[in-house]
Amino acid sequence: MTLAPERVRVEVAARMKGGVKVYGSGGTEVRALDGVDIGFEQGHFTAIMGPSGSGKSTLLHTLAGLDSLDGGSVYIGDVELGSLNDRKLTMLRRERLGFIFQAFNLIPTLSAEENITLPLSIAGVKPDAEWFGTVVDMLALEDRLHHRPTELSGGEQQRVAAARALVSRPEIIFADEPSGNLDSKSGTELLEFMRTAVRELGQTIVMVTHDPLAASYADRVVFLADGKVVDQMDDPTPASVIDRTKILGG
Amino acid sequence: MIRTAIKGLAANRVRMTLTGLSIVLGVAFVSGSFVFTDTINARFESLFTDVYAGVDATVRPDEATSAPGEAYLNANLLTEVRQVEGVEVAVGSVGGFAQMIDSKGKPIGGQGPPTLGFSWVDEPALNSFTISEDNGRAPTAAGEVAIDVATAESQDLAVGDEIDIQTIGGIDTFIIVGLASFGSEDNLAGATLSAFVLEQAQVLFDLEGKLSAIDVLAVDGVETDALVAEISTVLPGTAEVVTGEQQTQEQLDQVTEGLGFLGTALLAFAGIAVFVGAFVIQNTFRITVAQRVRELALLRAIGATGSQVTVLVLIEAAILAVVASAVGVLAGIGVAELIKMAMNAAGLGIPDGPLTIEARTIIVSMAVGISVTLFAALLPARRASSIPPVAAMSATGARTTPKSLRTRAIVGSTLTAAGTVAMTFGLLLENGASLPLVAAGAVGLFMGMSTLAPLAAGPVARLLSAPMRGITGKLAKENTIRQPRRTASTASALMIGVALVAFTSIFAASIKASVTDTLEGSFPADLAFASTNFSVGVSPVAVEELAAQEEFSVVSAVSAGSFEIEDVELKVVGVDPSTVSRVYDLGPSIELSELGDDLLVQEDVLVSNGWSIGDMITVDYPGSVSDSVEIVGTFTDATFANYVIAEEVFFENIGDDQIVIAFARLDEGVTLEDGRAAADAALSEFANVDVNTKSDQIAQAEAQVDQLVALFTGLLSLALVIALLGIANTLALSIVERTREIGLLRAVGMTRHQVRQMVRWEALIIAVFGALLGILIGSAIGFGVVTSLADDGLGSFALPAGQLVIWLVVAAVAGLIASLGPARKAARLDVLKAISYE
Repeated sequence: MTLAPERVRVEVAARMKGGVKVYGSGGTEVRALDGVDIGFEQGHFTAIMGPSGSGKSTLLHTLAGLDSLDGGSVYIGDVELGSLNDRKLTMLRRERLGFIFQAFNLIPTLSAEENITLPLSIAGVKPDAEWFGTVVDMLALEDRLHHRPTELSGGEQQRVAAARALVSRPEIIFADEPSGNLDSKSGTELLEFMRTAVRELGQTIVMVTHDPLAASYADRVVFLADGKVVDQMDDPTPASVIDRTKILGG
Repeated sequence: MIRTAIKGLAANRVRMTLTGLSIVLGVAFVSGSFVFTDTINARFESLFTDVYAGVDATVRPDEATSAPGEAYLNANLLTEVRQVEGVEVAVGSVGGFAQMIDSKGKPIGGQGPPTLGFSWVDEPALNSFTISEDNGRAPTAAGEVAIDVATAESQDLAVGDEIDIQTIGGIDTFIIVGLASFGSEDNLAGATLSAFVLEQAQVLFDLEGKLSAIDVLAVDGVETDALVAEISTVLPGTAEVVTGEQQTQEQLDQVTEGLGFLGTALLAFAGIAVFVGAFVIQNTFRITVAQRVRELALLRAIGATGSQVTVLVLIEAAILAVVASAVGVLAGIGVAELIKMAMNAAGLGIPDGPLTIEARTIIVSMAVGISVTLFAALLPARRASSIPPVAAMSATGARTTPKSLRTRAIVGSTLTAAGTVAMTFGLLLENGASLPLVAAGAVGLFMGMSTLAPLAAGPVARLLSAPMRGITGKLAKENTIRQPRRTASTASALMIGVALVAFTSIFAASIKASVTDTLEGSFPADLAFASTNFSVGVSPVAVEELAAQEEFSVVSAVSAGSFEIEDVELKVVGVDPSTVSRVYDLGPSIELSELGDDLLVQEDVLVSNGWSIGDMITVDYPGSVSDSVEIVGTFTDATFANYVIAEEVFFENIGDDQIVIAFARLDEGVTLEDGRAAADAALSEFANVDVNTKSDQIAQAEAQVDQLVALFTGLLSLALVIALLGIANTLALSIVERTREIGLLRAVGMTRHQVRQMVRWEALIIAVFGALLGILIGSAIGFGVVTSLADDGLGSFALPAGQLVIWLVVAAVAGLIASLGPARKAARLDVLKAISYE
C-alpha cells in the first residue's frame, strides 16, 4: 500500500529512519541502535519489548529528543530532530510530547494539580479547564489534587504522571516502564487508563516495557534485539507475547 | 576508616574545594595578620638596632619630673657629661617640629607619620642618619638642610634646591645640601625628616642654650651599665640616663605600636571571617551527611557503630581542615606581602627585607583552622550517627526527623537573649567597653539568630517570592522552604557580614549626624583654624596674628591636654573665658567669665563621680604640679573633653603648644571671602594651619568618617565573600540532590534558561533573606551602641536607609553572582542521566 506524502504526515506521529546509536568505541563499542526503521501511527498504542540491552530505552530516548542519534534521523510529525538545537528540542518536548517515567515522575514540592499542569506552567500557558477536568476525571484524581507526591500512593503518583502527560494534548506520549514500580492492581489500572486514552481520546502512546502483560494492553508490539527491530505483532495477548518472546530468545 | 574518609572527600572534589576555600580565606587572614605584625617588629628592630648600634647611653629630660614645656636639658650639661669617666664621646642634639612645604605652599606629609626636625650629629657612630657619597653632604652652616631621600624623591627635590620649612617660629627658606638615609631606608616609617646644624636647630625649635638629648659613646671596655651609673651621678633631677638598648627599644616600641594596631585590627576581621566560615563548613557537612544517608546507613548495616560513623565524618573534616589550613597559612604569607605593599604605597615605609614567619604563626593559624572546622562539623557528624541501618534499604533513604521547632525556638531565643545581655553589659561597663564581652555577646547573638532563622525562612521566602512570576519562581520558593534549616544556615553566613556592614554604616551615619548637630548647634563662629599636622597644634603666635586682623571681631583658641584626678589621666581643655562663649557654646551653667582659676565639669561626669558644685578637688598636672581647685559649675558639650579650665591656667601648667583649634567671628559687614583672605594672610607663615568654614568643618569630619567606613567595609567584604562561597556551595549541593527533579523538568519542557532562572531566584531569596536578617540585627546593634554612647558625644542615632537599601541590593546581586556556577551546572545537566533508573 502506497501512501501519499501528506497522508504520511497526518498519520505517522513519529518515525525513525536508519537510526544508529553507538556507545563507547573500539573493543568496548556497543551498537545500542543498529539501523532501526520504525514508524508510530497516530491514535495507536505501541509497546516496545526486548531483553535488557536490546536498545529499547535508547530507542525511546532518541525518539523523544532526549538523546541524539549517531546516524539516521528521527521525525516527530514532519520535524527532523537532528536539525534542532537544545532550545528548540526543549520547546518541542514541551509542546508536542508527553512523558511517563518509571519513577521520579513528580516534583516533590508541587501538589498533584501543579504537577499535572507543570508543562503548561513551564510554557506559561493557562490550562484548558474543561480538558483538565476530563483528564482528572478519567484518571480518578479529583480528591488527590491538593496532595503532595509524598502523600500519594505509588499508583496515584503514576496516574498523576499520566495526567500530566495528557493535559497538554501532546501528539505523542512516551512511557518508560510506567507500571514497573507498581503492584499488579495499580499497574493494571494505569495500563487500562492508558488504553482508554488511546481508544477514547485518540492519544498516541509509545511504551517501553519488558512485561508481557503490560505489552498486551498495546495495539501493537515491536520486538527489539541487539539494536534491531526483529519482529512486530498486532493485537497482542499476554500469551502470544510470551510465546513470541520465547521464540526470540528474550 | 581513614581510607573511606579520603574516598568520601575525593568523590566530592568541587564541594570540598569550595568548603576548603572558606577555611583557607579565614586562616589566610589570621596568619597574614601575624606575619605582618611580626615582620614589622623584626624589620624595625633590625633597622633600629643597626642604626643605634653605636650609642651606648642617652641622657634625656625626665618627663615625669620636668615642668611642662621645660622638657629639655641645659646645654651646660654636655660639658659635665663629657668629663664623666668612661665617656669617649658625648654629642648633644635637639629635635622638634619641622614641616616642609612644597612649591605650591602646601605642607608635605604629616597626615599620620610625624614631621621631624633635628640637629645633624657629626660623630658618625652617634648619628642614626647617613648621607651617601652621591647624595651631597651634611649641613655645616645655617640656612642648609639635609632631608630624607624618600621625601626628596616624592617631591622631586635634589641637592641644591631650595625648600621652605615651617617651625614653631615661622617659615624659613633653606638650601638642600644632602639627602639622608635612615640606615638602609630612605626614611623612617613615613616620617619626613629635616636636619640642620645644631646652632640653627636650637633657634628654630626655640631651644637656645638647650638640648633635647645627649648621646654617649663609651670608652672601649667600659660596661654600659657602669657608664650609665657614672653619668647619673652628674645629672640634675630633671634629667635621666638610659642605655642605648633601652633607648632603641623605646623608639622601636613607638614606631611598631602605631603600625601594629593595624595587625590587631586585621586579626579581628580575620576572626569574623573564620566565624562566617564556620557556618559554611557546618552547612556543607550537614548537607553532605544528608546526601550520603544510604552510604552511611550501609556502613551501619555491615556493623559500624554510630560513633564510628561520627568519627568517619570527623576524619573527613580533619583531613579537609589540615589541608585547607596549610594552604591558608601559605596564602597568609601572600596576604602579609600585599598589606606591606599597600602600606608602602600609602607612604608608610616598611623597611625592606624578608617576611618574618614565626612558628607561632603556623601553629596558631593551623590550630584555629582545624579546631573551627572540627567544631563546625561536630553537629552534622553527631547527626550522622543517628542514621538507622535500615535507611540503606529504603529507596529514598530515611530522613532523620528534624528536632521540634519548639526546642529550636527556646534554644535560639535563649542564645539571642544571652548574647544581647552580654553585649549590653560589655558596652555599658563603668570603665569603658569590654571588647571580649561585646565580641562574645555578638557571637551569641549571631548564633541565636541563626538558630531562630529557620522559623522565619518559610514566611520570608513566601513574601520575597511573591513578585516572582511563573513556575520558576514557584519552584525556587518551594525549594527554599522545603529545607528551612539549610536555607537559614546559608543565609546566616551572609547575615553576619551584612549585620557588621550595616552596623558600620549606622554607626558612621550617627557619628556624622552628631558631629553636624554639634557643629551647627554650638558653633556660632564663622571660621575655624585647625592644624593639618597630627603631631603639632596651632601655634600661639598664629592665634595672635589672627587676633590682630581687623576683619575679626573675636578670635578664641581651645587647647587640649590632660591632667590627673586621683591618678586617673583625663582629657582637659583650656579656653579663654572672656571670648569662648562668642565662638563656641559649651553649654555652661555659669558665666564663663567667672571661671577664674577653677574648674568646670561636664554635668553627667559630675553626677557619676558623686561631686557637687562647690567641691574642692585636687588635680595633678604633668610635671608633678598639684593644685586644689573648686568645681564652680558644669557644662553640657562633651565634644572636646569633660573638664574645662581657663586658658591661662592651661598654658601655665600644661603648656601653650597644644592649641587644637581656634575660632573666629567676622566683624559686622565683613564677608566670608574677605575673612578667609584675611586669615590666609595672617597665616602665611603657618602652613600647617587650615582655614575652615563651618561647612568645611562638617565636610572634613564626614570625610574622615567615610575613610574609616571604607576601610572597615573593605575588610568586612572578606566575610561577605566567604558567605557567598557558602551560597554557591549550598546551591551546588542542592542541585546534585535534585538531579532527577531537574532532569524531569527538562524532559517535560523546561528550557536551560528557565532552569538557570530557577536557581537564580533561589539564590536571590537566600541572599535577600540573609541580608534582611543582617540589616535587622545590624540596626539593632547600631541602635544599642549609639544609645549607650550618648554620653560620649554621640547624641544622634541616624538610620542611613539609602545605604542599607544599597547593601540589600549588593547582597542580592552578590547572591546572583554566587548562583552563576550552580545555575550553569544545573542547566547543563545531562537529562538522560538524570532520568535513567539506576
